[in-house]
Amino acid sequence: MSKGKLTVVISQAPGKNPAKRALEENLAASLLMEPGIELSIIPHLYDLGPDHTGRLFLESIPGDMVVLAWLFPRAAFWLLDRDGIRGTEGQSPLHPKAEKDDEDADEPPPEKAPGIGPVGEIPDRTIWCLDLRDHAGHQIYLEEIRRIGAEAALLREGRQAAKQATKPPAVITLGLPTQKKPAPEFTPETLLAPPSRRWYPVIDYSRCTNCMECLDFCLFGVYGVDGLDRILVENQDSCKKGCPACSRVCPEQAIIFPDYKSAAIAGAPVGNIGGLKIDLSKLFGGEDPMVVAAQERDRELVRDGRDAVGLAVGIPKRQTDKPKGPRDELDSLVDALDSLDI
Amino acid sequence: MQEDLWFTMGKIPARLPAGILYAKNHMWARPETGLNGNGLFRHGFTHYAILLMKDVYFLEWNISEGDPVSQSQEIGHIETSKAESGLYCPAAGTLVRFNAALLNDPSAINTDGYGAGWLFDLDAPETGYMNAEQYLKFLSDNWEKTQAMLKGKMNQIEDDES
Repeated sequence: MSKGKLTVVISQAPGKNPAKRALEENLAASLLMEPGIELSIIPHLYDLGPDHTGRLFLESIPGDMVVLAWLFPRAAFWLLDRDGIRGTEGQSPLHPKAEKDDEDADEPPPEKAPGIGPVGEIPDRTIWCLDLRDHAGHQIYLEEIRRIGAEAALLREGRQAAKQATKPPAVITLGLPTQKKPAPEFTPETLLAPPSRRWYPVIDYSRCTNCMECLDFCLFGVYGVDGLDRILVENQDSCKKGCPACSRVCPEQAIIFPDYKSAAIAGAPVGNIGGLKIDLSKLFGGEDPMVVAAQERDRELVRDGRDAVGLAVGIPKRQTDKPKGPRDELDSLVDALDSLDI
Repeated sequence: MQEDLWFTMGKIPARLPAGILYAKNHMWARPETGLNGNGLFRHGFTHYAILLMKDVYFLEWNISEGDPVSQSQEIGHIETSKAESGLYCPAAGTLVRFNAALLNDPSAINTDGYGAGWLFDLDAPETGYMNAEQYLKFLSDNWEKTQAMLKGKMNQIEDDES
């Protein structure tokens, strides 16, 4: 993390998939030769508990960083945010925001219903999250990291200039400087200590409207509110492995289960027509998502020796004639199906 | 040879061959004769379903050949360029076989949906399937609701059992 260097973190895939390991290793090997890059490798981001060295390491990074993980960028970014590793989300052409057809390229982007946003102060740095599932070869990632390196350098210059313009009055510290907490030892061995698999929801606060439907729905005490009455995933490890039910209940698609098999729940980029898929399950004979969510919840309740509650508890009663809020990318996405350019 | 029927989705026509049967989950069913007799049907996606999904990328079954199945049971999963969905059994019976050719390359679903792109053979004593005219009416009657559903207004839609 020396001055002027960009921190790059590779978060390994869980398991031992040789193709994934090969991509990680090839990328790591070429990044080690790359000037201006500080590379570290940690286990699967999602599995890192609060005490894992990999997590402490991430927390210790003060500046811009690139995180390459086997996760959707949106999932990785909000996962880091929940862990207190925060910043501005960097944009990368590797995961285009919206893969629209050219015909409506002139239209201004639709107004998005704003989520409540992250809580507290966001440090002035940028975090780029790249999805290692997007490409099989490492070269494209290497080139993108070089591009980000150049962008980060410009951002740094901008910040420096801003700082100089508004130079704070000099503060003279008297007495002994305060003792800094000693940084833990970040050796490759401790960084890569294998964590056990975890399972919990991640809230995308750029979409969350604090409607509390997840809090009402989940009967396992996963959700809570902070001092400002904002929803948060309070008890991650109370969550039931494999159960994504609250994500189905969320009216804003703000709840992500990063390792879930279906892309929409795992945090696929909203607005990316190529990435986010319309769920046709209902049309093809599947149940209503609320029913599925209630079934999934019942299964976990019974497993815990509790009574199933079906649709009786915490199922939102949405008003069908609710006035429509401002349109967002997801709305336009489903509209795109309307025109069915087949 | 009976004439094909057509259902127009917006501007795009979906072909519904006459002489085969249709299930409400947008699968066609063609009686297979000569094997173990009366209730064996070959199933596949209707052109209507394929137009909604577009190019099939990935198809996966989560039951085995020979398994008993109930109606609406989730039996697999599909991912396409526009959509993803669970796949559900249109009638109760025994899943006799899957089209193995699709597992390596599902593109036949798009190129020959009523032929080489068939999905599975199901031995189902009672089906309640529709003929082409009935399916066409079913599609027309539900088109408005389907469009609403595609727009994400799922919670406003009641299941149509008519």
